[in-house]
Amino acid sequence: MAVLKKEEMLGSAEDAVSFALKKGADEAEAFAYQGLASSVSIERGQIAKSSRIIDQGLGIRTIVKKAVGFAYTNILGSKKSMEETIVRALGSAKASKLDEDWHSLPTKKSFASVENTYDKNIVDLHAEDLVKIASVMLEAAEAKDKRAFPIEGGAGASYLSQAVANSNGISGFDHGTFVECSLETIGQEAGEVSPVCFEFNAERRYKIDPEWVGEEAARLAVSALKAKKAETKTTEVIFTQFALQQLLYYTLVNAVKADFVQRNQSAFKDKIGEAVASDIVTVYDDGLFDGGLRTWKFDGEGVPQQKTLVIEKGVLRNFIYDNYSAKKEEKESTGNAARAGYLSTPSVEATNFHLMAGNRSPEKLIGEVKDGLLVYFLQGAHSSNPASGDFSVVATPAWRIRNGEIAYATKGAMLAGNIFEVLKNVSDVANNERKVGQLVAPWVLAENVKVVGK
Amino acid sequence: MKDVLCKVVDVASRKFGAEYAEVRAQRLFKTMLTLKEGRVEAARQGIENGAALRVLVKGAWGFASVGSLDVETLTGAVSDACKMAKAAGSRLKEPIKLVETEAVEDVVKLKPRKDPAKISIEEKIGTMLSMSKKILGYDKRIKGCTADYLDLTGDNYFVNNEGANIEQGKLYVWSRITATAREADVFTFSREEIGSTSGYEVFDVRTPEAVSEEVAKRAVKQLKAKAPKGGTFPVVLGPDVVGVFVHEAFGHLAEADLTLSGSVLMGKLGKKIASNVVTFYDDGTIKGGFGSFKYDDEGVPAQKTVLVKDGVVVGLMHNRETAQKLNTKPTGNARAEDFRVEPIIRMRNTFMEPKDRSFEELVEGIKFGYYFKSFRGGQANLDGTFQVGIQEGYEIVNGEVGGPVRDASISGNTLETLLKVDAAGKDFGLSPGRCGKGQTAFESDGGPHIRVKGVLVGGSA
Repeated sequence: MAVLKKEEMLGSAEDAVSFALKKGADEAEAFAYQGLASSVSIERGQIAKSSRIIDQGLGIRTIVKKAVGFAYTNILGSKKSMEETIVRALGSAKASKLDEDWHSLPTKKSFASVENTYDKNIVDLHAEDLVKIASVMLEAAEAKDKRAFPIEGGAGASYLSQAVANSNGISGFDHGTFVECSLETIGQEAGEVSPVCFEFNAERRYKIDPEWVGEEAARLAVSALKAKKAETKTTEVIFTQFALQQLLYYTLVNAVKADFVQRNQSAFKDKIGEAVASDIVTVYDDGLFDGGLRTWKFDGEGVPQQKTLVIEKGVLRNFIYDNYSAKKEEKESTGNAARAGYLSTPSVEATNFHLMAGNRSPEKLIGEVKDGLLVYFLQGAHSSNPASGDFSVVATPAWRIRNGEIAYATKGAMLAGNIFEVLKNVSDVANNERKVGQLVAPWVLAENVKVVGK
Repeated sequence: MKDVLCKVVDVASRKFGAEYAEVRAQRLFKTMLTLKEGRVEAARQGIENGAALRVLVKGAWGFASVGSLDVETLTGAVSDACKMAKAAGSRLKEPIKLVETEAVEDVVKLKPRKDPAKISIEEKIGTMLSMSKKILGYDKRIKGCTADYLDLTGDNYFVNNEGANIEQGKLYVWSRITATAREADVFTFSREEIGSTSGYEVFDVRTPEAVSEEVAKRAVKQLKAKAPKGGTFPVVLGPDVVGVFVHEAFGHLAEADLTLSGSVLMGKLGKKIASNVVTFYDDGTIKGGFGSFKYDDEGVPAQKTVLVKDGVVVGLMHNRETAQKLNTKPTGNARAEDFRVEPIIRMRNTFMEPKDRSFEELVEGIKFGYYFKSFRGGQANLDGTFQVGIQEGYEIVNGEVGGPVRDASISGNTLETLLKVDAAGKDFGLSPGRCGKGQTAFESDGGPHIRVKGVLVGGSA
């Protein structure tokens, strides 16, 4: 199976829409998806595995008398499968209940232009090239420190393409590439095991630095050894991008989604125009971020992605919308409908959630801290209260900062508090912006965070 | 079907010299529903047909997955897998070998009393709607309710070049109901899950009425809860929390791939790591259990595996690769979510064995502590640091259960904590769950009520 052409993908989607209308749908939308992924995996210190996964399919949404039905198939390009899928989607719609809030599918708008989201060099990568990337990373980790043991990781390249068409005339195709390498390590010394440490580099263009990833993963693991128990106190905390991503994903990101607001599940309801964070905090949801991991010309419903100001100098400005939640308020979608390929209907999701960087280097940020913690990862962020923003998580690995310098690794440090309070207590942001999942952010320094320890 | 699969496997050995080759073909059918505040978001149905090819060539793994079952595509995929294995093997230090197992030939037909594939979408929507309505009508402070439903039915074919040939039915019914409540600035959140491999009859046992009442009641009760104190306290944990503790804090460390990666259980086999009351099992054979199946995705029969017996580590969970490496038998823990991913070591139904105490006996000696009844997520690290979030908890004051506490969590080091388990109840409960380890596995976990002498409670008060 090979890469499907733009015409084939668009053809599948457009044919499906016409057929659904012919079969009695009031409105119809089809989403065609293809993903080709190659990877090599590191397991316990060696490259021992390689895989190639081809996944493609067609998801069809039909609306009959304001009731929505959806069906998918992972067979693309077969007329019979497409027709059977449409019949099932119509069956689902007819079995479903009328939704008074359903307005209509989105209408056609011109797509945005995006930069650095596709690189033919990534499509052309072979397993041998990925083996080389993984080897460089592994060797860099081994050379850095003998006490670091690479337990898992690898290198991967993927090509994704998507086409969307609907009965309001939307018809779009976009494709993109991803390349990444990552390494999990633990430090081992005299019977002591460090927590798992992790580094990675993911890009849309073929420009990654496996050597840095390997060295950094090894350095972290070794410096996480000889950990001392954390003390209970209220203190300053620097969150790295990983910790921030974990903490925000289940709290702040949900709080700005229009459907959460409409459903009374957001602490930000009725707070547009109010200060919700310290004035150092400015956040965009930027679906067009140059080379962003979530950058596409259009979202899962064929609405152009855009740059939306969410928090401006601490003041809440906008929520993010998909077509359904926008029409409910007689607004326009902000291009935030996400889909799990062909397998799901769209739902509101952030694109590149961009917390703007400051001017200070990370070293200077550490230098500002008299007594505090540097937190790389959190355990249990998914158990945060999604509505209130209350969290109670473990910081691991984490390091104690004293008089502007990293003193030692800590263990057993629990952080307890409320994310919205933390945002109000942000006192500085560094200049080391990077992409981690949907987050684009620097290190963030917050004051008055409660640490529970021995 | 089987002839095609045998041919494909044969290509790997004959043409590419693979020492091991397997193909796993699936035909899956899914129905999914999401209801928000009783509004059906979209009734969804899907078909997924595909195959996974896995080969060992000169000690390195190659894997390929395709969404097709035709001979030509599968033959292409097997050659892809072999080429990938050859590339991966170029820097191999220690070739991978698999422990020998009996090549099973079997056909496993499921006999659900209520086959979800034969129940209309209307009826499924009706069940979810009745739960949503009950929750929303429970109290005016309940502001939100999400009801998710999934059923998956289909067939699994497994063939390898050692002569294994297994056809096995697949069936899962799962539902998650959540409610949110709000009063002034206080938000609470409550969740229950239902899951079974028996059939739609799971709703006869876990009735929509009972589950929705449980969810609604908890969300409302928590509105009056206070934040827990942070610090180390004695706690009593309910079966639901014990389950997630056994699964997250201990279970993952006993998955042999993670043990070999350096988890704190490395080198602990035969050693005492927990108090005498601690006995843990991972059991793939419980009838209807959400983590039950007859054969795993390497064709190894599922079994009841004892992990800890009276405080001593006696076993780990294995696939054929780790069993070979540690010179033991495979335990039937190799599972793949679907044909898109390769089998890895996963838990099944993981639980602690009950003992002899009543709930009152567990609580009575505690001057001040907490009773944590139900969890909201948990996570562990290879160094044994664990965290379990709590969605329903109470203070224990002078030997009695007192007022509710909100958004607590417990943390500590698994091995230190297991030594502090000083009593276990005579009751028992298993809860269905979904576990993520790069891919999702359906599992269940549980145990009796237990008492732990001291555990770190994260609280903001």
